[in-house]
Amino acid sequence: MGLLPLLLAATLKINGSTTVNLVAAEAAENLRAEKRMSITVDTQGGSSGGISGIGDGSIDIGMISKPVSQDDRKKYPKVVFTETQIGEDAVAIIVSADVHAGGVKALTKAQLKDIYESKITSWKAVGGPDRRIVFFNKEPGRGTWEVFVHWLYGHPRLAPEVKHPEVGGNEETRTKVAGTKGALSQLSSSWAENQPAVKALGIKAPDGTVIRPTNENIATGKYPMSRPLFLITNGPPKGDARTFVDFVLSPRGQELVRKHGYLRLQDLKRK
Amino acid sequence: MTRRLDVVRLWSLAFTLLAGGAVLAMAVYLGVASWPVLRGEGLSFLTGNDWAFRKERFGAAAMLYGTAVVSGIALLLAAPVGIGTALFASEVCPPRLRLAVKLLVELLAGIPSVVYGLLGVVFLRTVMSDLFERLRWDAPSGDTLLTAGVLLAVMVLPTVATLSDDALQSVPSSVRDAARGLGLTRAEAVHGVVLPAAAPGLLSALLLALGRALGETIAVFLVVGRAENRLPDSLFSLAPLVDAGQTLTSKLGGAEPTIALGDPLHTAAILGLGLLLLAVVLALSLGAGALRARLALAQAHRP
Amino acid sequence: MTRRRALDRLFTAAATLSALTAIGVLLGVLGLVVARGFGAISWRFLTEQIRSVGAEGGIFYQAVGTAILVATAAAVALPIAAGTGIGLVVYVPAGRLRRTLEALLHALNGVPSIVFGLVGLAFFFQALGLKKSWLSGGLLLGLMIVPTVAVAFLEKLRAIPAATVEAAVGLGLSRSRLVTSVLLPQASSGLVTGTLLGLSRAAGETAPIMFTAAIFAGATVPHGIVDSPVLALPYHIFVLAQDSFDPRVAEKVWGTAIVLLGIVLALSLGALPLRLKIHEEARRA
Repeated sequence: MGLLPLLLAATLKINGSTTVNLVAAEAAENLRAEKRMSITVDTQGGSSGGISGIGDGSIDIGMISKPVSQDDRKKYPKVVFTETQIGEDAVAIIVSADVHAGGVKALTKAQLKDIYESKITSWKAVGGPDRRIVFFNKEPGRGTWEVFVHWLYGHPRLAPEVKHPEVGGNEETRTKVAGTKGALSQLSSSWAENQPAVKALGIKAPDGTVIRPTNENIATGKYPMSRPLFLITNGPPKGDARTFVDFVLSPRGQELVRKHGYLRLQDLKRK
Repeated sequence: MTRRLDVVRLWSLAFTLLAGGAVLAMAVYLGVASWPVLRGEGLSFLTGNDWAFRKERFGAAAMLYGTAVVSGIALLLAAPVGIGTALFASEVCPPRLRLAVKLLVELLAGIPSVVYGLLGVVFLRTVMSDLFERLRWDAPSGDTLLTAGVLLAVMVLPTVATLSDDALQSVPSSVRDAARGLGLTRAEAVHGVVLPAAAPGLLSALLLALGRALGETIAVFLVVGRAENRLPDSLFSLAPLVDAGQTLTSKLGGAEPTIALGDPLHTAAILGLGLLLLAVVLALSLGAGALRARLALAQAHRP
Repeated sequence: MTRRRALDRLFTAAATLSALTAIGVLLGVLGLVVARGFGAISWRFLTEQIRSVGAEGGIFYQAVGTAILVATAAAVALPIAAGTGIGLVVYVPAGRLRRTLEALLHALNGVPSIVFGLVGLAFFFQALGLKKSWLSGGLLLGLMIVPTVAVAFLEKLRAIPAATVEAAVGLGLSRSRLVTSVLLPQASSGLVTGTLLGLSRAAGETAPIMFTAAIFAGATVPHGIVDSPVLALPYHIFVLAQDSFDPRVAEKVWGTAIVLLGIVLALSLGALPLRLKIHEEARRA
C-alpha cells in the first residue's frame, strides 16, 4: 500500500451516548476550528456503542452516560477502561403533555416497576386520564436504560425481559413521546426542560414527598437517578485524546456542559 | 500471429465470475461466520421466541413473524393497485400517454427509502394513530406492524407496477388483436387471454416485489416500533397489527450490529439473521426467474 | 350485451383508478417533501457545514461525501458490469452456464441493501480492519449496482444487429478486437444509461454505508483509506429523522431530503434521453 503516509494521518474517533454527544460534538467543532484537529463524532449504539468501541479498539474516546460496569470490564479483559467525568445529568421519567395535564405529575418507584413490568397498563390506575400507558423503553444498550433499571432492580441483569416498543437515542425518545398520547419513557432530564410537548415527572418517595429532577436535587444527590457523564479511554488519555479531554474539563468546555443543560463538575454538591 | 494473453477475454470472464459469484460468496461468508450460533441454537434460531443477546439467547421467531406480517400487508395493498396500474398502462391507456405513465411510476420507484422513512415518522404514524383512535382499535401508538406494512406498500407499488407491465407487454399484440377480432370486449380479452398468458410473469413480479419488501430496512426501522419478542397467541390474531413489532431488518438496522462487534457470539447471531434474510430473498429471486423462464418458453412456442 | 359493456367499463375504471392512485401517491410524496423543506434551501444551506448536531449550518460535506461514494461506486461498477456483459454475450457459451450466471446476476440485484452493509461491517470494517472508510462504502455500493449497469448494457449488446457482427468477423477481426472495436462502442450508451440508473440508486442508499462508511459529524474530506469516513446525505436524513422533534432540525432534514431527491432524480432523468433513444431503436429493429 503506497498510501502509507496518508494512512498514518490520525483522526480522533469519538462514539457513544447521545446525551454526552451534545457537548462532545460542539467541543469537536471548536477544536477543529482552532487547532485544526481531525475529529469524528458518532452516536451509533449509544453508551454501549461507546464501550464496545473502546473494547474492540475501533474508537479513541467513548462517550457514556453511566459508569463502566463489572460486566463491561469482564467482557473486554484486556482493556483498561479509564473514566474521566465531565459532568452530571439525570434520568427523568417523561410523559407526553396530555398525561401531565391529565393529573400525573409524579410516580413512586413501585408504580414505575409495575408499569415497566406491564402490571399497570392504564394511566387511570395512577391518577391520570383513562388511557393506555404507552411505554417507549430505551434500547437496553443505552446508558439511560441501565441507570433506570439499576435504580429499579439493582442491576441490569436482574431486570425482567419486557416487550415494550423501543427507542434509541435521546432525540428519538423525545420525538416519539411528544408525538404519542399517553406515552412514557426515560430521558436525560435536561432534554425535557422547557419543552411543551414532554414533561418530566417527579419521583414520589414512600413518605409522599416529591423529588423533581431539578439541578439542585441532582447536584445534592437527592434525586435518585442522577448519573455521571464520562469520556472513557483505554488507559489514561494521551495525545489528541488528552487534548480533547482537557478541553472539555476546561472552563470553556464546562461552559458547554452547562449550555446544554447538564451539571458541571463544580456544580456537584456531594462527597 | 503471436499468441498474446487475451486480456479482453481474461478481464471479461474474471468479472463475469465476480458478478455471478458475489451472491454465493456473500452467502458462504455469512454462513461460515454465523455457524457457531446456528449450530448452538439449532432450529430454535428460527422457532425460538427469545432474542436476548445479553443472556446469549438467540431465537428469531418473533422477527420472522414480524417480517412476514409486514411484507404480507405490503403486498396485499400494493398488488391490486400495482397490477391495476400496469393494466392501465398496458391495456387501457392511449399509446402516447403510456410512456408518461411509466416514467411517473419509475420516478416513484427511485425515491430513496430514507425519504419514505422520514415521511413515515413525521406523517404516517400520526395518521395511523388517529385512524386507530377513530376506529376505536386498541392501538397504543402509530408505530405498528400495520404502519410499516402500509409504508412498505407504497414503496413496492412501483416495483409491482413496472414488472407487471413488463409481463403484460410480453404478451404479443397478435393475441389481443385476435381476441378483439372475435368480438370480445377489452375487459374480456384481458381476463380471458392476456392475464392467463401473462400469469407467470405477474407472479414473478409479485415474488420480486415481495423480496424487495422483505429486505427493506430504513423505512421499516423508523415506524415499526421495535418491540422485542412479540408473538401473538394465535397465528391468525389481528391484534399484532395494531401493536409494535420487530422484523429481521428493523433489528439489523438498529444498534445491535454495532454493539455486537467484539462479542463473537453476538456477531455470529447478527450475521445469522443476515443469512436468513439473504436466503429467503434468494429463494424468491430464483423462483421469480424460473417463472420468467417459463413465460419466455411459452412465448417461444406461440406461432 | 349491456352486462358485458358494463364490465368493460368497470375494468377501465378500475385500471384508471389504480393508475391515478399510484401517480397521486407520487405527487403527494414529492409535494410533501418540497413543501416542508423548501424553506431550508438556500445558498448557505448548500455550502455550509453542519453545526449544532444538525440544527444549524448546512449540508456541504454531506453532499461532498455522497459525491465521493457515488464516484467510487461508478468506478467499481463500470468495469465489472462491462466485463460481465461482454463475458455473457461473447465468451460464455450459451447454455446452462450462461443461464446460471444470468440468474445469479439477477439474484445479486435482489440482495437487500442491509445485507451489503452487514457483510461490509464484518469484512471491511472488522476483518480487514478498515474501520469506517469511504472506500468500503464505495465498493459495496458499486457491487450493489453492477446488475443494474450490466442489464442495461446487455440489452444494448443484444440489440446490435447480427449483420454488424457478421461483417466484422468477415473482415477478419479477432474476438477481442470485435469486443473493443465494435461491441463496446456500439453498446456504450447502454453502459452509460445503466450507470446513471445505478448511481441514482446508490446515491440514496443508507443501509450499505451506515456501518461501513458514513458518520454523522466530523468528517470533511477523507485523507486516507483506513479510518476515513465521510458524511452522506441519506445517513444524515436517517439520523435526523429520529429527531424531527426540534423544529430547527425539522426544516433542515426536509431540505436535505429535497437535495437528495434532486440528485437522485437528476441522475435517473439524465438516463432518460438515451433510454428513449434505445427504446426507439429497439422498436424499429
